[in-house]
Order: sequence, then structure tokens, then C-alpha cells
Amino acid sequence: MTDLPLVGFIGLSAALLAIGLFGILTRRNFILLLIAIEIAMNATILNFVYFAAYTGGTAGLTGQSIAVVLVGFAATEVAVGLAIVLALNRLKGTINVAQATELKL
Amino acid sequence: MDLGSFAGPFLPEILLLAGTLFIFLLDVVGVRSTERVGAVAVAVTGLALLFVIADLGFAPLAFLATIPAGQIDAAGTGSALYAFTSLGLIFQAVFLLATFLVSLASLSRPSQDRGAPIFFGLLVLATLGMLLVAIASDLVFLLLAIEVTSLATYLLVGYTRKDPRSLEAAMKMYVIGALSTTLSFFGASLLYGAYGTTNLAAIAHVGGAGGVPVLVLLGYGFLIVGLAFKATLVPFHAWAVDVYDGAPTDVTAFLAGGSKKVGIFAFFLVFLAPILFVRTGTGSPFANGAIALGPILQITLGVLAVLTMTVGNILALLQKEMKRMLAYSSISQAGYMLIGIAVGTAPALAGATLQIFAHVFMKGAAFLLVAGVTAWGIGPLIDDYRGLGTRRPVVGVAFALMLLSLAGVPLTIGFVSKFVLFSAAVQAQGYFVWLAVAGLLNSALSVFYYARVLRVMFFEEPAAEKFPAGAIVGGSGPSELPAGGFGYGRAAAIAIAVIAIVAVGIYPQPVLGAIQAAAQHFVAVGA
Repeated sequence: MTDLPLVGFIGLSAALLAIGLFGILTRRNFILLLIAIEIAMNATILNFVYFAAYTGGTAGLTGQSIAVVLVGFAATEVAVGLAIVLALNRLKGTINVAQATELKL
Repeated sequence: MDLGSFAGPFLPEILLLAGTLFIFLLDVVGVRSTERVGAVAVAVTGLALLFVIADLGFAPLAFLATIPAGQIDAAGTGSALYAFTSLGLIFQAVFLLATFLVSLASLSRPSQDRGAPIFFGLLVLATLGMLLVAIASDLVFLLLAIEVTSLATYLLVGYTRKDPRSLEAAMKMYVIGALSTTLSFFGASLLYGAYGTTNLAAIAHVGGAGGVPVLVLLGYGFLIVGLAFKATLVPFHAWAVDVYDGAPTDVTAFLAGGSKKVGIFAFFLVFLAPILFVRTGTGSPFANGAIALGPILQITLGVLAVLTMTVGNILALLQKEMKRMLAYSSISQAGYMLIGIAVGTAPALAGATLQIFAHVFMKGAAFLLVAGVTAWGIGPLIDDYRGLGTRRPVVGVAFALMLLSLAGVPLTIGFVSKFVLFSAAVQAQGYFVWLAVAGLLNSALSVFYYARVLRVMFFEEPAAEKFPAGAIVGGSGPSELPAGGFGYGRAAAIAIAVIAIVAVGIYPQPVLGAIQAAAQHFVAVGA
């Protein structure tokens, strides 16, 4: 499997990570922020998948299983985030991050 | 393998998992009072603590030992997800101790507090994740274990749901936590690409045979940033003060005393091997390539340590609120701890571990005390503590001891840990001496803001008589608390911390010896 154009794939995941990080830093809507976090997380999962394909053999199986575990983990993380959004929306009637200003920076 | 031989070593972890599920089950069947649910948490963490201490080789408890002797500090096989090291077990004990003190003190919270089962359940769950961090020997296992802790603490910070401040703190912690998680996992994926494995022992043993320099450098870079968020290192610290300030104060005690140390121990696990390549002279992974990884990492971590100490201390000087001052001081303490891994020798790791051990009693207990005093109706400002020392001398002296220990005054545990840490940095020679100098200067700087609190407490008169008379202990329930008591649980937790601060400060040998031996093994296995 070593004939894969690895650099192209790494470029793809680097781009995904950059998009995700940009979203995390600029989005003020909590739901969109969660989506940005997911995009960045997917860059990592993709990385594990094609490094696994690149490595091949039993060492490659490690990467594939990690990718599957991380898909599950990402879902858990979003579930916790949604719980916080729900509580925030009930209390303040908004999911805008910028309006949370009780604590000074 | 039969269940017994597998479950044995993991008895403390299984105990905590069972405790979490049991507490949530109690919630379902309607047992929700703080005292009952909290008693489960105290019992479970206390018992797990006894098992871990027995595993550490404490003779009187030997009958409780669960790990076969040969399995501790065995050389890594290069495939296992976990490994029992005695340093890891010491960290397990530290984590359990932090949770034990916090849950003991929280027994004194309002007994009709609606979130009690959620609070104690998540507390025990977060501790489970910390125990797993302490035995991790695989990068992804380590990061997932950190996440078990993180996800539980996000919810723990916002568990009251009705308090906009704590909910906002939870939101901030979640966003920053998710960002740091993403970066750490991305770094791990790059290291997997470079080495073809995520096992830390295997990565350590690859030596000159493997590794793609660019991927390795980027991978460790992402890991440093990701873990620095968790360990509240400057410049990745800004979230921590808001979260420590906004969270319920008992949760803050847990964050500062326990969960932040997870990040520091993760630094130990991840970065010791690449640093050791250089220090032991066995050649770095890139001895034949272009870059030597070890010095780069050591300088990076050293700069982070100095930045963290200095910025934390200077900002602590400027604070007017007690919780924010303690939060910044907690950030600067993380800088001292990081010196241990930046130097990377066994004595330095021992010093950092002792500092972490001490921090549970100093900072964790200080937050617990502040939570108790706040329940009396005392305000958040440092000036609100005027006259505390003269009106309530027992509380004042206990708080003073914690602050003096944080400042590193002799005959306290904080002095011993700083002495061991800084002398190890001096012994390591080279530019590590400057780390010790920076540490000493910062300790001197920190005395100013601790002394200010002491002055306010003992030498200034309160504007109005606001400290209620009454026994320190008394009334375990909240309804009785405004009378001026701490409740038995909180008083006991603070008493344990004060005794530990003084006892280890005067006679450090048993604890120090155990930690030094463990650090020796840790470095020997890591190399």
C-alpha cells in the first residue's frame, strides 16, 4: 500500500484541521462551534485511517481500530456539549457564546 | 485468563466504576440526600486509596495488595495498553486523595442540594479516568483516559444548571477542552504515522530505527499545545481562571487539586522517553538525521515552565478576589511542576511529584476552606477576609498554614518539595540551573500575595462584625451552617490537610523516600 500519495492525504487532513480550528475560534453560535469541533476531530480520524493503510499489516490494524474508537469518542464529546447548550438555552434563552459575559477575562 | 487474575490489578478502578453506577442508581430509586450519596463516594475512594497504598508496598496493608509483585515496574512489552509503575501508583494515590478530601468536605454541603447524586457520581467517574491515566502506556489510551476525566469535569463544573456563572464556566471549559483534545489527538495521529505504533514504550525503543522527522516534530508540537491546555500552562491558561472562579468552589478544589495534575502526569509519560534519549546518551531518534529532539523539547518545556511561573505569579499579585488569586497561584504552581519533566532526571521527577502531592493539601484544601467560609456569607474579595484570623483563630491558622506552605516556608511540605525540585535542577547542571533560579525568584515573588492575605486576616479589623460566633465543627447540614460551623466532613478534610502539611514538612523521609525510589524506577523503565 506504499504507493498511496500520502502527502496529498496529509494535506487534506491539515486543511480539515485548519477549517475546524478557524471555526472554533470565530464561531459565536454554540451549535456551529460543535460542528467546527467535529470537523477538526475528523481530520484526526482520517489521519489514523490512512496512516493505517500506509503502514499495513497488524500495525495498521491498530490505526483502524483507533479510528473506530475515536468516532465513538467524538459522538460522546458532542453529547456532553449538547447537554451544556440545552442548559444554557433554558437559563438564558440564547446559544450565543459571546453573550456569556458574567466572568471577566 | 480467568476473571480473577484479570480483575485483580484493576480492583481500584472497578471499585470506582461500581461506585459511580451505584450512585446514579441511588438517584433513580430516590435516595438523593448529600449525606447518603456522599458517604458512598467517600467509602469508595477511601477503599480504593487503601488498595493503591497496599500496592505501593506499605507493609501493614500488604494483605490488600492486588497487583502481583513482579508486574510493578516491569519493562514495557511494547504492545500493552497499560503498565503498572510505582510512580503511576503514587499518582493514583494522589488523585484518590484529592477526590477523598473533596467528597469528605462536600458531605457538609446542603443536604437537600438537588444535584448531590450528579456531583458525587461525576466526581467518582472523573477519578476513574485519572486512575487510568496513571497506568497508561499507550498514547491513545492515555488521551482517551484524560477525556474520561475531562468530559466528567465539564459537567461537574456546570452541574448546578441554575447558576449562570458556573454554566458559563462549563461552556468555556468545554470549548477550550474540545480544542485541546483535538490538538492532542492530531499530534498522536502524526506520531502514529511516524512510528507506526502508539505504544509509548515501543516509541521509546524505536530509537534511531524509525521516525519521520517532520511528522515527529509536528506530532510532539501538537501534543505539547494540547496537553498544555489541560495542565493550564501559560500561554494556554486564560480559560482556567474563569473556570476556577465560576465553578462551585468544591469543584474548583477538585480541578486544582486533582484533574489538572492529569495534564502534568501526561507530560511525564509522553515526553520522558524522547528527553531520556539525549540525557542517557543512547542516541536520539534522529542521531543519524537532522535534528536532536531531546534538547528542543527540554528547552520548550523549560521556557513554558518559566513563563507559567512568572506570568501566574505576577497576575496573582494583581487580583482582588480570593478565588482568582488562588487560581493564578495554581497556574504558577504548574510551572514549578513542569520543571521536573523539563530537567528529566529522577530527582527532578521526584521533586515535581512531591510538589503535586503537596499541592493537593495546600491548594485543594485552601479552596475547600474558602468554600466553607463563603457559606458563612463572607464575600469573594480578599478584603472580605479582614479579621478572620482574630475572630476565628482556628480557621485563620489553618488557612495561614496552607498559604505559608504554598509560599514554601520551612517546616511545611511546600518547602520540602521546592527544595527537592530546585536542588535537582541545580544538580543537572547546564541551563537547568537557570530554571532553579527562576523558580527561587518566583517563590520570593509569591510571598508578597500570600503575605497580603495573612496581613488582612490577622492584622486588619473587619469593617463590621460579620463572623458569626460558634464552634468550628457543628451542624453537618447546611441549614445549621450559617451559625459559623464548617460541618464535620469539611472540618475533617481540612484537618487532614493541615496535619499532612506539617507532618510531611517536619518529617518528609517516608513520603520522600517512596517517591524518590518510584522516580528512579520510572526513569530506569522509561530508558
